[in-house]
Amino acid sequence: MSQDLQAVSATPGGAAGSDVDTTSLAKLIDTSTCIGCKACEAACQEWNDHPVTLAPFDGTYQSQPDLSHSFWNLIKFNETEIDGAPAWLMSKYQCMHCIDPGCLRSCPAPGAIVQHANGIVDFVPEQCIGCGYCMTGCPFDVPKFDPYTKKVYKCTLCTDRVSVGLEPACIKACPTSCLTFGARDELIQIAEERAETLREDGFQAAGVYNPAGVGGTQVLYVLRHADQPEAYGLPADPQIPWTVTLWKGPLKWLGNLVFVGGVLGAFLHYVRYGPQAEEAPEDARDGE
Amino acid sequence: MASDGRVTRFNAAERIVHWVVALAFGYAALTGLALWSPRLFWLAAVFGGGTTARAWHPWGGVVFTAALAVMFLKWARAMRIDADDRTWLARAHRYAVHDHAGLPEPGRFNAGQKALFWLQSAAAALLLASGVVLWLPESMPRALREASILIHPLAAVASIGGIILHVYMGTAAVPKALRGMIQGWVTPRWAALHHPKWYREIRK
Ligand code: HEM
Ligand code: SF4
Ligand code: SF4
Repeated sequence: MSQDLQAVSATPGGAAGSDVDTTSLAKLIDTSTCIGCKACEAACQEWNDHPVTLAPFDGTYQSQPDLSHSFWNLIKFNETEIDGAPAWLMSKYQCMHCIDPGCLRSCPAPGAIVQHANGIVDFVPEQCIGCGYCMTGCPFDVPKFDPYTKKVYKCTLCTDRVSVGLEPACIKACPTSCLTFGARDELIQIAEERAETLREDGFQAAGVYNPAGVGGTQVLYVLRHADQPEAYGLPADPQIPWTVTLWKGPLKWLGNLVFVGGVLGAFLHYVRYGPQAEEAPEDARDGE
Repeated sequence: MASDGRVTRFNAAERIVHWVVALAFGYAALTGLALWSPRLFWLAAVFGGGTTARAWHPWGGVVFTAALAVMFLKWARAMRIDADDRTWLARAHRYAVHDHAGLPEPGRFNAGQKALFWLQSAAAALLLASGVVLWLPESMPRALREASILIHPLAAVASIGGIILHVYMGTAAVPKALRGMIQGWVTPRWAALHHPKWYREIRK
């Protein structure tokens, strides 16, 4: 494993999000300029060598109902109503590369999920044991189980391209200015400016989606209706599930206390009090 | 009661069921603990690697619950907790320091053993229900998964804690109790000391 890691799953000391560099990388998705062409979907499938996946036509322009273990980047076509008017909200859906990733916190296999120093959260199939804990820890329902390899997969933010100085495949393919890749703090600034422009254009609720519940994300969105992220298929306030936090925190302490205290207590009891008498005295036998 | 000075404590069927439960529990507990903490992940290597431990742990759990169900049918009646048992439990701290004065006389099982039986039965039900959810996460709704990821280890902590005490009692703390579960017999004077009410009944 290379050393450009800031967090490693199931590794003592590999605290998620502990030392995040704010100039880390990010992807900005300006949904107001997405034309729904799906070039990013095709580029993702191609770069990652995924098979062509056909889904039955279900009355929408969306190519798949959901992400899958071999489909990591989905343009959602959300047909809905906003302020009484029909709205067709396209939004790109993939791993958010959370600054505090719930998947990594949940994972019990050392090194199966890593967070690189540049912030990319990546799964390492060689170390993955296929427990599926990450699927529950992720507030965005991103990791998907492959029933064939019995491991879990998701978007890598093209870490293989980024590490040799290329931009992710989806960014490269996008024909509009919808997708941008770069330093996260600069992209946040660009996103805020774009949201400001949209507000000037009359979209009063325009804003940036960078949810604080997961420490912020490295996939940022500009939304015309930032007050209703759910209309785009984005959770309004994503959090690592509280049961996961309780399980990985206080419950571990309680359990370790029970295990170590139990064994140590039994040993000390034996040393202090010794075993019970083996048999009743002869006369207590009441004859036979 | 046998004439050769041996009292039958557990018959062969009871002993076999007990040890199937114990082996399956041990397997499930150790493969489960491999995932409990990174510091215990080496246990996965002992059991064939992380992927193997993950794939077989649930089967160990299923064998455990199935065998425990048989044990439950055999013993549930004998394990009922009565007024004497409640008195016994209230004075269990005296029992722990070998002060047996004022303790109601135990029957075939003492109140501590009965409490363990009910703890394990409840924990097994929870482990099975939550374990099945963790087994097939890709086809389970999120709410069930979020609940199970907490309930399963919680029930595991309770049952492993109980078993640590049980193993200590059965091996070191009560001499010759183990022979009752392996060879199946105890001496009359052992029975008279540890389970006097039961001993009086079977002597009749
Ligand atoms: C009754 C049937 C059971 C089923 C179907 C089941 C299933 C599972 C599954 C699917 C997991 C996730 C990872 C893995 O497979 O190792 C798990 C974890 C675990 N299981 Fe079980 N299990 C069962 C019984 C038990 C028993 C009897 C114990 C022992 C007390 C146990 C202790 C654990 C522990 C400690 C974990 C890890 C929890 C953590 O990561 O914090 N399970 N179980
Ligand atoms: S499925 Fe793999 S990556 Fe996900 S939590 Fe389990 S070991 Fe980690
Ligand atoms: S979106 Fe899900 S899979 Fe991606 S980093 Fe966040 S928690 Fe992990």
